[in-house]
Amino acid sequence: MSRLVGKSPALCTDLPLENSDILNKLHLLGQLLRSCFGPSGRLKHIHNNIGGQVVTTSTSSVLLPAIYSSTPFLNLILASIRNHVSRLGDCGLFAAILCVTLIEKVKQSGLRQNEAIRINKHLLGLCTTYLEDKECGCKVKLDFSSSHNLIKLVRNILCSKPATMLREYETLHISKLAVEAFLLTVPSNSNGVVTLGMTVIVPIEGLPVMESKVFPGLLVDVPVGFEDLEPRNQPCSPLRVVLFSTSLAGHLSEIGDGPIEVQYGTDMDSQILDQLLEIGKQVFKDNVKICVCQKVIHPVLQQFLRSHGVIVVERVGINLMQPLVQLTGAQPLATLHSTIPHKAYGQVGNVTLRQFGSKSMLHLYPAEESVICTTVLCHRNETILNELKVACQKTEHVLRLTLREPFALLGGGCTETHLAAYIRHQVRCDAAGSASVFGCLQTEYLLGVEAFCSSLESVAAALQHDSEDSLIDLTCAHHWTLPKDVTQEDMESCERKCGCGLIKMSQTKKWCHLNTKYPVFSPASLSPDVTVHADVLDSFTAKLNALQVAIETVNVVLDIRYTIQDVN
Amino acid sequence: MAFLRQHVGLQKLSAIAAVAHSTLGPRKKYKFIQDEATGESTLASSCLRILDNLDLATCAVSQLVHETVRVHHEVYRTGAGCLLFFAGAWSRAALLCLQQGIPTSRVVAAMIEGMDLCVDVCKKSSVSFDALCVLTRKQVTEAPLESKVIKEKRQLKLSRHFCNTEPETILVPEPRLSDVAHLAAGLSHGCNNAMRLVIEASRIQAKVIPNSVLDVTKVTTCVLPGLPEDEAHVCSGCIILLNPDQASVAHDLKNKSMNVVLISGDLSHSYRHLGFNRPAGIQCVGNQSNLSDLSKEEEWMGKVLELLQHLEVDVVLVSGLVNAAVIQRCSQRHILVVGKVRASVLKEMATATQATLVTYVTLLSKRCVGKGIQVSMWREIGSHEGTPLTAINLDAGGSTRLVTAIITSPVHGKLQSLEDRFWACAYRVHHALKDKAVLPGAGVTELFCIHYLMKKVDAENPGDGTRGSNPYLGIILHLLADSFTEYLAAVMANSTGISQVKARAVVNQKLQDVNSISADFSQLILDSDEGIPPSKVFDNLSVKQESWRKALDLVLLVLQTDAEIITGVDESKDGNHARLMFL
Repeated sequence: MSRLVGKSPALCTDLPLENSDILNKLHLLGQLLRSCFGPSGRLKHIHNNIGGQVVTTSTSSVLLPAIYSSTPFLNLILASIRNHVSRLGDCGLFAAILCVTLIEKVKQSGLRQNEAIRINKHLLGLCTTYLEDKECGCKVKLDFSSSHNLIKLVRNILCSKPATMLREYETLHISKLAVEAFLLTVPSNSNGVVTLGMTVIVPIEGLPVMESKVFPGLLVDVPVGFEDLEPRNQPCSPLRVVLFSTSLAGHLSEIGDGPIEVQYGTDMDSQILDQLLEIGKQVFKDNVKICVCQKVIHPVLQQFLRSHGVIVVERVGINLMQPLVQLTGAQPLATLHSTIPHKAYGQVGNVTLRQFGSKSMLHLYPAEESVICTTVLCHRNETILNELKVACQKTEHVLRLTLREPFALLGGGCTETHLAAYIRHQVRCDAAGSASVFGCLQTEYLLGVEAFCSSLESVAAALQHDSEDSLIDLTCAHHWTLPKDVTQEDMESCERKCGCGLIKMSQTKKWCHLNTKYPVFSPASLSPDVTVHADVLDSFTAKLNALQVAIETVNVVLDIRYTIQDVN
Repeated sequence: MAFLRQHVGLQKLSAIAAVAHSTLGPRKKYKFIQDEATGESTLASSCLRILDNLDLATCAVSQLVHETVRVHHEVYRTGAGCLLFFAGAWSRAALLCLQQGIPTSRVVAAMIEGMDLCVDVCKKSSVSFDALCVLTRKQVTEAPLESKVIKEKRQLKLSRHFCNTEPETILVPEPRLSDVAHLAAGLSHGCNNAMRLVIEASRIQAKVIPNSVLDVTKVTTCVLPGLPEDEAHVCSGCIILLNPDQASVAHDLKNKSMNVVLISGDLSHSYRHLGFNRPAGIQCVGNQSNLSDLSKEEEWMGKVLELLQHLEVDVVLVSGLVNAAVIQRCSQRHILVVGKVRASVLKEMATATQATLVTYVTLLSKRCVGKGIQVSMWREIGSHEGTPLTAINLDAGGSTRLVTAIITSPVHGKLQSLEDRFWACAYRVHHALKDKAVLPGAGVTELFCIHYLMKKVDAENPGDGTRGSNPYLGIILHLLADSFTEYLAAVMANSTGISQVKARAVVNQKLQDVNSISADFSQLILDSDEGIPPSKVFDNLSVKQESWRKALDLVLLVLQTDAEIITGVDESKDGNHARLMFL
């Protein structure tokens, strides 16, 4: 007899932002995210409580999926940031920190929520317009005739992942590789629509970082035990390739679930094997030289193909299928039960065997010019290699974004401080007018502006973790760091630069601590005709989107009156 | 922030690393690990085996430590104790830095700089193996004039004025057996019995292919409990234990040249290759014949036997499992079937006999059958279950370099340690040959490191008060130097039995006079009654560098971590856990 368990009633929280438990959790989340931010950010060990693998990271794309709150309120914030990260790859922590900080600051300011929402919307508009403006003082145009800025852009992404444990020269090496790989994925001659290729990352544990390399074409694993047998002599090129996405393991893979009725005495296994051998014969007859399968190939078929001089590659996995299709031009075959049409065959230019430490891989060269390449990433251990792999995937994402909008923003917190100073100045000009538009008092309006600007500034300040001071200069409004252990003489003796490296200490005279009030001024932008070289650059597209996502999420969150949680 | 002053992760790391102390140095001590819950106990003498037997799943740091040590052991088989010791020592150094309020980023930067310096010292103080070979050869043939010249050269390399510009001008021949023996003696680190086996293995292998001296991939071990330890030895071929059924077949086959087939996977009716999914929900309809599973298996067995006899197969080596019934049926037809054969043995047998490895017996054809395998009876061994076991020797004539080290001990619990020691010795020689260089051992390299670290410290704190970019570099390098002193003292205390304090004093005294270190420091660590003359103790270059690097990576990862995120914890159940904060 089954028993019915009564359903628990849904949990309803009135005014979640007034709930101290939720506020405490929000604060904790803020602390957690802030501590991970930037090149000197702290790492987190992520594990489950029952002995699963330990992941050490400070990257938003690894960290955020691991964080799950019992409060729907926080999950709403986390979900929207996760969404941003999966779309644009970078600036996840920036968005998350800005979002949490702004919620807290609005809460502290005591503003009414609908006013705060309107003010935030207005200020976001100001920011977006300014950042998209040609005269924007914190934007750099990327010049594709030189790889310098691209390398800087990549380098900044790698630097902000301390768990990759890269040294200065290693960072540079990987940055160059990332840019090289990116350039290989851009077709050199195109008519009309440009289709970008892709980079496949092959992580190899135990070798030094400097052994990392980029190859055109693809690298696939060679079946164990056949390392020394594989490419004997492949005289003619290009070589014909057949690509299977269905399993050739010899079981019924296409029928799905459900009962099957067979006659007694039928040997299904041998019948399927016969079918496989038929395919093998056709492949051999059609002069195919390489047979690649996403899944397992039956040992009997493997032996048959090998004995006829066909190179067999199995278990390449779903992730390699798309690049293989692009590289070879083959159509992946999803069934065993038809003859292979000739147009389904593809081709590769050549194959060679490559050795990385104890691992051998088969290198498939493109037959013609191709936009598929492989980055072999080497690092000392699995933990830091995983982080490096994630960072490299981000760099590819960010570099692709530059093709759409060839700009970068100044990094190192300078964009944030500059933007804050700009908004303060803009608002000062027309405070009374704007306030009346929003239907609030001028003081209320200024409170909202202060919350917004100081949130931006505190994101810049979150880059510091070793109790350094954060400063802003009162000419260009860039972000400066002052370590506690450096004396005034040290400051003057060595030439310090601002966060993004654009301005030297000698170029500006007045500084102010970030969390203090400073006189409103119009931040000067360095004249555009001077060729400026910032050291640290951020992705323009990703950061702009992160800013929008953060503010819009804040506005949604501020608008929540109830949360209703089904606890069943 | 308060928690920075007391870094829990580093404290844990330091605590776990303490288990490494007893495993350092030539005289390793056993640890007896008892499981209170099951009453089982284990004897362990290497830090990997100790960690293997501890329950480390609940804490992220201990899991990281275990993972690091395990990966290191898989590749190097030695040096894990050193890795763990330094992980502990450097985490204590990092803790001291944090207590003094030094920012984390400064600690990280300085420690990396210190490590660069030490790795550089390693490179410079390494003795090229070629030079070493020539040296020993000349000593043996007693050509006094020439050897003097070379000796000076080597001493120059070991002196504190490292000569890094002068390339070796001597034309170097391939390493010979005598060189390996000399090298091996220096790399034995107190495991003389294990090293004796390695030298023997190398001697046997060199007979087959004269120009190469040791190939660890063609070495296998066979563990025999119950025999006294001094019966351990090495023989060519592969020693395999058989049950009485198989033994009787082996008796008939002995000392003949026979045909062999090699099977990867299990030898059974129901075995399918990896990746084969058995379809679910198959129903049989019709009533013509009712072949049960049993009769199907019988049919398969018949086919297999027919095929094997047709191909005139005498021996079947299987990497997976073979059930007793199959062994018995084959034995009746005088076919010897052996299961659970190591992959490396199968591979070597395939090369030696021209056999092809197949997954299914049905795949076998004339071309897959290898020829020329020999079975000889080795000895009978009584086992503690009562049934006598027979050990046979499988050999592929003179064409295989396969050797088996037979490891024996009357104490069952010691066998694992003895086997580990054998592999450690084998891999030390292997890595030395691969690196083509060794480091001066017995603490000399570490003394060089201390010396150079302290020199850098002095350069960092000049009298005039000018400082480099990192004001804490001096303090941190000093701490690193201290950790090397600590290491030497721990090794010395372990091996000579003197107290840590006294050992420290000796190290410090030796540092005062760095010039003499290569002469008599080693004597102190290794008793002269071990039979090894001083200054002929070596360490592995790549192993040492790698274990230091891995230790530092571990410390830096933990140092830069400020929180653990535990997923899947239910707040309503574990909510009152004081240390956890819930999101």
